[in-house]
Amino acid sequence: MTKKLGRLALGPASLGLLALTFWLGYFVTPPDQVQGELVRLLYIHPAVAWVALYVSFGTATIASALYLWPRTRSEALDRIAASAVEVSLFFIALTLISGSIWGRPAWGVWWAWDARLTSTAILGVFALGYLALRRANDDREQRARRAAVFCILTAINVPIIHFSVLWWKTLHQGASVLSSNRSIKVHGSMGLTLLLSFIAFTLTFFWLLRARYRIEVIRDEKLQRSLATSIEQRRTEVSGA
Amino acid sequence: MVSRYGGGVITVASSSPDQLSPVAPPAIKSRARRRNLVVLVVVALSVVALLTQGLLGSLNYFKTVDEALAQRHLLGTKVIRLEGLVAPHTISRTSSGASFFLTGLQGKVFVVAHGTPPQLFRASIPVVVVGHFLSSTSSSFDGTQIMVKHSSTYIAKHPKRVKAPNGSVR
Repeated sequence: MTKKLGRLALGPASLGLLALTFWLGYFVTPPDQVQGELVRLLYIHPAVAWVALYVSFGTATIASALYLWPRTRSEALDRIAASAVEVSLFFIALTLISGSIWGRPAWGVWWAWDARLTSTAILGVFALGYLALRRANDDREQRARRAAVFCILTAINVPIIHFSVLWWKTLHQGASVLSSNRSIKVHGSMGLTLLLSFIAFTLTFFWLLRARYRIEVIRDEKLQRSLATSIEQRRTEVSGA
Repeated sequence: MVSRYGGGVITVASSSPDQLSPVAPPAIKSRARRRNLVVLVVVALSVVALLTQGLLGSLNYFKTVDEALAQRHLLGTKVIRLEGLVAPHTISRTSSGASFFLTGLQGKVFVVAHGTPPQLFRASIPVVVVGHFLSSTSSSFDGTQIMVKHSSTYIAKHPKRVKAPNGSVR
């Protein structure tokens, strides 16, 4: 029942909430006192970064840790981790692009080598490395194990990214979501739209994750079928010889 | 049993139809190990390159006005990133950019910046200016680039505006 609901509702719900976020963000919410119309990127960039860093990399790390624990080890967890990192890479790219688009008029530069931006770029390299590592291993179990270890090791970068704006002096603004005093200084309707954007992009992540997971399952099934056919073919050849 | 397939030679364990698994996979394993190593080396080199370009050179992206003034004799005319608040009523647009006072908690620096300031540049906001002091004793700063450092506070421009029944905003 839950699975069916997820399959049927996740896509339309994600798209609906994204559309609502864009409508509120671009037509309903007011311009900002300092940033004016540029503030509309607030409804994309922080939510996309939230998904890239915490939701997707968090999902991949938890799935990897559970895979490495013998009691919970399963192929499904490996697939979830791989799919989450792949979707994460998409969101990391989106974070860097949207940040850059916001940075040019707001800061005056497309890119700054400060701690927040650099550590986020490093996370992108780690995600690419994770996917490359999976391709480098043909043995399924070995691939899953090595990828899981790599994912957990590289996830250490996530708290570094989060706290970089507190530990060091950066051009990037301080954390607006999980700030040290847990306060979000965003005006009424802007705050609500910001919250909605977080829900919309989080749902979108799970929708994409589900789709990517399904592709992985179908690919494995196809591989199994092709292997069975080859064995059968070989068996026929040997018996015929 | 030895069979030829596509120009290569495959050794099959037995001619029995029930035993079809290949005999010698170690070559694949060593290739996988080599590929793993290549991936890890490429990742490590990329991270080192990013760290060298980014974090290690400037873990702290800028020096505040007070820090820079305190270290002025050491900094000399070295290019640095200077952060401070744009003092109100001091901005003057010049033919090549803008000049203004940048204040810290205690000191202030006179900045002459070249190039077009960013869209959000104005008085009473924090900015980071790339440039250098004119000398190791001077409090004048020659800037080549201004970057605006905005906060994470977002407040509506006209919070008390209401929409009239005819749709117009008042």
